[in-house]
Amino acid sequence: MYIQGVLTVAMINIISTTGLAVFTGFTGLFSLGHAAFMAVGAYTSAILTYFVKAPYPVALLTGVLASSVLAVLVGYPTLRTRLRGDYFAIATIGMGEATRVILENLKITQGARGLPGISQYTTLPVAGAAAAIVLVLARNMLASVYGRNAVSVREDAVAAEMSGIHLLRTRMISLVFSAGCAGLAGGLYAHYLAFIQPVMFTMVQSTQITAAVVCGGTGSLTGPALAAFVFTVAPELLRAAQMWRLVIYGLMLVLIMVFRPQGLMGYRDLSWQGLCSLAARLRKGVRHAKG
Amino acid sequence: MLLQTTITGLAIGGIYALMAVGYSLVFSVLNFSNFAHGSVIMLGAYAGYFVLTKAGASFPVALAGSMLAGVILGVTNERLAYRPLRVRNARPLYFMISAMGVAIFLENLVYATLGAHFYSYPEVLGRSIVRLGGASIGILDLFALAFSSVAITGLHFFLHNTKSGLAIRACSFDMTVASLFGVRIDRIVGLVFALAGALAGLSGIFLGMKYMAYPTMGWITNKAYVAAVIGGLGSLPGAVIGGIVLGLLETFVSVYISSIIRDVFSFSALVLVLLAMPNGLMGRYVEEKI
Amino acid sequence: MNDLSFKVDEGEILGLIGPNGAGKTTVFNLLTGFYRPTSGSMLFRGRELTGLAPPAIVGLGIARTFQNIRLFSNLTVLDNVRSVLYRHARYGFVQALLRSPQVRLCERRVHEMAMEYLEEVGLADRANDIASHLPYGLQRKLELARALALEPVLLLLDEPAAGMNPEESMSLVELIRDLRKKHNLTIILIEHHMDVVMSLSHRIVVMNFGEKLMEGSPEEVQSDVRVIEAYLGEEYAGAYRR
Repeated sequence: MYIQGVLTVAMINIISTTGLAVFTGFTGLFSLGHAAFMAVGAYTSAILTYFVKAPYPVALLTGVLASSVLAVLVGYPTLRTRLRGDYFAIATIGMGEATRVILENLKITQGARGLPGISQYTTLPVAGAAAAIVLVLARNMLASVYGRNAVSVREDAVAAEMSGIHLLRTRMISLVFSAGCAGLAGGLYAHYLAFIQPVMFTMVQSTQITAAVVCGGTGSLTGPALAAFVFTVAPELLRAAQMWRLVIYGLMLVLIMVFRPQGLMGYRDLSWQGLCSLAARLRKGVRHAKG
Repeated sequence: MLLQTTITGLAIGGIYALMAVGYSLVFSVLNFSNFAHGSVIMLGAYAGYFVLTKAGASFPVALAGSMLAGVILGVTNERLAYRPLRVRNARPLYFMISAMGVAIFLENLVYATLGAHFYSYPEVLGRSIVRLGGASIGILDLFALAFSSVAITGLHFFLHNTKSGLAIRACSFDMTVASLFGVRIDRIVGLVFALAGALAGLSGIFLGMKYMAYPTMGWITNKAYVAAVIGGLGSLPGAVIGGIVLGLLETFVSVYISSIIRDVFSFSALVLVLLAMPNGLMGRYVEEKI
Repeated sequence: MNDLSFKVDEGEILGLIGPNGAGKTTVFNLLTGFYRPTSGSMLFRGRELTGLAPPAIVGLGIARTFQNIRLFSNLTVLDNVRSVLYRHARYGFVQALLRSPQVRLCERRVHEMAMEYLEEVGLADRANDIASHLPYGLQRKLELARALALEPVLLLLDEPAAGMNPEESMSLVELIRDLRKKHNLTIILIEHHMDVVMSLSHRIVVMNFGEKLMEGSPEEVQSDVRVIEAYLGEEYAGAYRR
């Protein structure tokens, strides 16, 4: 049961991390408040299943929609300037704070005490299937005009505009996709824990997502997903290190930026061919070493 | 009531301005948001507290101590976390991530070593209240406002009347050109972080006296960041104006509407300002060389 | 920039020369919508360009290269050209997420078209190299291929021969000539290599301090004293060059 629980959370974290990977890794923008998108998704879907008794999938999708709407509201004014990714990052800090304050003071969210007794719909198969679907959708998006434009914008905003790419539109699409993933993750999380509180969706959560993306590789999907998995499972194995976890995350962010900014996977992605050729090289290496 | 609110707002705005100037100073030269500034402020507050209590020193010594701590931290931070990126001309996103890493590292290091304990400052400045035409002002607020004004004026003077100040302004205009004219970039960037660190130490000790010292106090400084953006990132007058506007706005909202939704208001103000003026109130129209 | 006025005829190559800081690149930045003129107007085939955003201007048929090469440097040579061909994509977001047949079809077409443009500039064999790993001269050619892939009517070239040796720049001259003929291009060319400007341009505009110093055929310009002065002035102005 315990292992299943950890794995379920890992799957949920893979979803939110994949979303941020599209936004940070492939579009080159920084967010400090993805937890807020999770919170909105979590509360929206939980309120729907708890008070309205809406079907679970409908509730989840509404949560996704709500996060996306929030993303549009925050993104539109802040993502317009050509070279200032900072504005959005700063706005997300504010968004995180504002979301928390609102959740703590609304009646329907029951304030800081939180919402208990949410139906536990999220099982490991549900979370696993959702993670797989999100990964495939993200891959498809990145292999389409939307993803290609995002990468161009990341590489050089000026050259991208001069290639006829609409900056704001491209960034907004990435953001909405990313926030949607976070909203879905939030919804799944709420229906796994059966209890949510505003304090669950703070900087700590955002930090973990960011750390997974940066370590996994800005420009890779499988890298961050792998990192999200490791970052969920490893602390469970090393209970004693719990307290130092964030210290290590922080240090890791700096070290990676200083020594290996492309992250562990860099601009590559895991694929069958890649794995096979790696295996072949290893075998060759072993033979070489023996001979 | 109106006067009282205005004066309180100005006092808070003064501290915001002081913090925002530190952000903007780094931004104007290196073009990235130094999220670690908040942690330097936090550690400055701790430094001030320990100098006051453990060393039993007087307020001026503690002030110097927290400013020194800020300088050391700021400069070390630049050396270790930003310079390697600057050398290889990394994109601003990487600077932001590195800065974020430093912030998370320092904040949680304090949390893991000193704990979540709130350290409340001894009352060095006293609790006396000054009456001014029907309004009463805490002596602490008065001091904060005075020190902020002096520091900001001093910085302005330094930037405009010294050779190093000129070099900093040259770098903020164009670093490549500045280096062609013989400005030693490493030294100037170090100086910028030293100045920002000193300002951080100063704001840290006042924040500490007002709200106590604790690990996550650096996040209060996010509001200073919001102030810097409202004023226009990279513009020092903008940071001051943004800080004061935000301080006043928050105080008025707390008094006349509700203190609970104060932060929602500041955030909305940020979004609205950016909607109307994408470069902030005083933002210079930053044009990258294309 | 002050009181500058010139026109380009369709199919013409117009050289834009002048000392550093004369405002040549600023002309390009104005034409492509990165800067906004405080007054005056810019007409392209009878349409006002002032106030349009860069992508809209690209849509009208203006493409450019950059003085200090702006490639998508972490991407492959092929992907650099592909990235501008996605404006042909005719599918929506949902289809993209589901990778519908239209998406695959578009991918194939984009790939083929990109290869054609690479062949034109002679980079087909480097298609899978990372753009930033290419030597300088080839990076300029790649930027040219990317601009061509936008199928422009008017092509703005900002120092295409910068950093090239005489041999390389002469082969570039040939390439630009061929491309102009094949694609029916009108070209405005900023260049410091005088032999390149003189052999390519039909007409030359000389700028100094944001103003037009003179305009004429390459021969006229070469014999004019003011032009030589403007350049000499720059020589004396010293080493600072961006």
